[in-house]
Amino acid sequence: MIEHSRELLARLRSFFRKRERDEDFDAEIATHLEMLIQENRQRGMSPEGARRAALISIGGMEQAKELHRDNRSLPQLETFAQDIRYALRTMRNNPGFTSVAVLSLALGIGANTAIFSLIDALLLRSLPVRNPQELVQVQMTMPGAPTPSSFSYPLVRALSDQSEIFSGVCGFSNDVFDTGRREAPEPVTGTWLTGACHEMFGLVPVAGRLLTREDDRPGAPSVVVISDTYWESRFGRDPSVIGGQLAISGVAATVVGVSPRSFTGATIGEVSHIAVSIGSMARALPDRSSLLEASARWLQVLARPHHGVSREQITARLAVTWPSLVSVAIPDSMAASRRRQMTSTINVIPGGTGWSSLRLRFSQPLVVLMAVVALILLIACANIANLLLARATGRRREIAVRLAIGAGRTRLVRQLLTESILLSLSGAILAIALASFGSRFLVAMLSSGQESMIVLDLNPNWRVLGFITSMAFGTALAFGIVPALQATAIGPTHAITGTSVRITGSRSRLGAMLVTAQVALSLLLVIGAGLFLRTLQNLRSLDPGFRRDGVLLVEVNGRKLGYRGPQLTAFYHELLQEMEALPGVASASFSFTTPVGKGQVSQRIAVSGQSVPNEETLVNLIAPRFFETLHTPLIAGREFTPGDTATAQGVAIVNQAFVRRYFQGVQPLGQHLSIVGQANAGMQVVGVVQDAVYESLREPPPPTVYAPFSQRGGNSRAVFEIDTRGSLAQLVASVRARIQPKSPGSPIRIGTLTGQIESSLVQERLMAALAGCFGVLALLLAAIGLYGLLAYSVARRSSEMGIRMALGAERRQVLWMISRDAIKLLLGGVALGLPAALAASRLVSSMLFDLTPSDPATMLAATALLMFAGLLAALLPAYRASRVDPMVALRYE
Amino acid sequence: MADKKLDLLQGTLDVMVLQTLSSMGPLHGYGVARRIEQTSGNQVLLNQGTIYASLVRLQQRGWIAAEWGTSDNNRKAKYYSITKRGTKQLATDTAHWARLTDVMARLLAPGGEDAK
Repeated sequence: MIEHSRELLARLRSFFRKRERDEDFDAEIATHLEMLIQENRQRGMSPEGARRAALISIGGMEQAKELHRDNRSLPQLETFAQDIRYALRTMRNNPGFTSVAVLSLALGIGANTAIFSLIDALLLRSLPVRNPQELVQVQMTMPGAPTPSSFSYPLVRALSDQSEIFSGVCGFSNDVFDTGRREAPEPVTGTWLTGACHEMFGLVPVAGRLLTREDDRPGAPSVVVISDTYWESRFGRDPSVIGGQLAISGVAATVVGVSPRSFTGATIGEVSHIAVSIGSMARALPDRSSLLEASARWLQVLARPHHGVSREQITARLAVTWPSLVSVAIPDSMAASRRRQMTSTINVIPGGTGWSSLRLRFSQPLVVLMAVVALILLIACANIANLLLARATGRRREIAVRLAIGAGRTRLVRQLLTESILLSLSGAILAIALASFGSRFLVAMLSSGQESMIVLDLNPNWRVLGFITSMAFGTALAFGIVPALQATAIGPTHAITGTSVRITGSRSRLGAMLVTAQVALSLLLVIGAGLFLRTLQNLRSLDPGFRRDGVLLVEVNGRKLGYRGPQLTAFYHELLQEMEALPGVASASFSFTTPVGKGQVSQRIAVSGQSVPNEETLVNLIAPRFFETLHTPLIAGREFTPGDTATAQGVAIVNQAFVRRYFQGVQPLGQHLSIVGQANAGMQVVGVVQDAVYESLREPPPPTVYAPFSQRGGNSRAVFEIDTRGSLAQLVASVRARIQPKSPGSPIRIGTLTGQIESSLVQERLMAALAGCFGVLALLLAAIGLYGLLAYSVARRSSEMGIRMALGAERRQVLWMISRDAIKLLLGGVALGLPAALAASRLVSSMLFDLTPSDPATMLAATALLMFAGLLAALLPAYRASRVDPMVALRYE
Repeated sequence: MADKKLDLLQGTLDVMVLQTLSSMGPLHGYGVARRIEQTSGNQVLLNQGTIYASLVRLQQRGWIAAEWGTSDNNRKAKYYSITKRGTKQLATDTAHWARLTDVMARLLAPGGEDAK
């Protein structure tokens, strides 16, 4: 062992002192030679004879030196260094080829890395907590629900009591807290936490202490923990802040400590600066006390099971205790909801990567995009392979000569691959820069239209670096191995015989195969782009049942101002009058929620004379003139009027879907409805409106009941809708000037209905934009590939063209000959690409809207586009072929 | 294939060089080569260049040491001498070769074990 490492070290030293050792040995072997010559001379040989004999005895000076070198140094490493030097020289000598290859690789690998970084940040990265791999996330999926629900605070408490399963249970949810003075509040993103969270994560405070279970008890003093970043940026790391007071929505809380810098909350995509204990603060803040109730389902759950308890065991144990757990947490008054939660499916999934609402929406798009950019990289690789094949033909002489003088084929293949790897690595290094730009751009794109900016940790980690490295080597092999094998597949005897050696048959067959594959892949991507573009177009041109443009939305939260019940409604009506009086307002109304907005509510609605349905119906609470403002046509009856006050007869308006569902063949007007489980909730139907989209553009309008805000509203924020006549910008300014002063300490939020709809389409826009860009890129790459192949074949066959034309072929015929080649290649690609596209598009069918995955129009248009681009690419080489001068071509040969 | 032949030769040559240096004291490469040729009664057809491959290998393993010196007729030459560890290695190798040749001799002897 020691001998081996000693020898290796010595060899390594020799490797780095090559020249010194060479000179040393030159001197030594020269002495040896002289001694031999002298001896031979003493035996009476002639000077030349003595020298010759001496050289024979030694076995050749160069051979001796080579042998010496191999034995004292690291031959493999030396060969490798030689290969690298050689490759670098080749790259320098072909700047055009090198830059095209490196750039396209940089783009390809960069796009792949950008998307992979995003996938890594969103889905794969572990939270910076103690043993994140131990954490689990508990999910509750109600019967019939497509996605898991959130947990109520009492339910999380009940779950925390399962101490034989969990050592710690954390319920959390992000929120924006108004900190500082009431007059000029500063919104700061923070997290509501149950008391055990910090301890369960195993965090160590930077200063002070973190939240504990004690802080979660009713009656505990209000305390918060701030993040290290916030401590620095807001307070300049002032130690006196700890133990001091921080006002949150005007209520004083004590800052007890600072959480570690790396920890920015368990919600991926957002950065939390304030950790607030639910138990103490939700009671202290007047408008948040409802968060403690069993009806508010708003928390996510991460938990740390006891050591050695598997996820299967947790699931099994929870399945047993779940019903009793729910019955303890949820009061009798909520019987229906309790039953649904009791019969929910409980899933326990790994929780080390935290939780994110973005996963549900962006996991599939990101995986699809990953596949798209991987295909782009493949197309780019095919281009480089084709260029290398073409160049190998040019280097055939050189390679044949090297084979002839004894270079092994493996050695040559290794050398050519070294060049490929160097190209890929240079591309990969550029790609790192491109990727960091690209992934930030992507995050900005995801963020557009979101309430808060998405913040993801995109710093490269070992996983991303590993990804880039394997990409670099993978692409080098992908585009390098075939040309390298091809280039060295010539007998040494061929080479010397000169230009007449042609292995072009197999070379162009290979090239044609590559181009066909490129065409097929790019057709796949163009079709994908087409499908996503049409999806977005379909959604944008869909008639939602209301006016999309020119409607201003103003959100006001009167509860934060202390209004309750009838005063709250009165306050909103007063604001409404102010708004209606503003110049440029055609009509205005307000409601609990807006189409495609947040905070949808559904309740069980009973129709008198019918059995109580099991499913819930969407309900919106609206003010008079709501439908007029949104331009939703009234089919029958009337809108609500100021006369529909809290004390008047309860009324309701239903949409056509509701009529179809419950009033088949019955006159809906005058029918009676009631909200199940609510007293005095009888309503008479006074109007029917046309269907309008409610939660999402993608879903057909569901049965919906509208009730007057004044009768059922009471305790919530309100969103005002303003139908504008003039300029939106002017109206925004006057709304801000007139309405904001009425809402001191609680900023009003102004947006447009168009903006709200666009932000609900962020996934579709992302896919359309990126798939569109990549589709164009794929088309371009395939066209370049086709052009390259044809141009090369035209150049190679110029003498053939010359002969044909000398024999009387017309330009037109030559033009057709080349175009025919192109069409053959394109049709081959289409034949492969269409079935592939049909198969692949089925995988994304859930992301499409109002079209089948095999949408014939898209398929046809994409194929036509591809053929057009391909023929355009073929035009120049074909034209050049037809311009060949027979004399020049023949003389050249 | 050429490599394999060399391997076999290498092992043999290394022992020969060690033994030569052990019995003759410091020698230059030419001296070692001549000595091996002489001792073997010119039966070994030695490609003298290969001596240096063996010498550098043994040196890097620390079994021999090298030093520039002056030859009898005033030429600059590199002199090799066996080290303490080289002597130890030579003992091991000698034992190994003795066993090997013994076995080979017995196996190849006419009327060997089988004939008994």
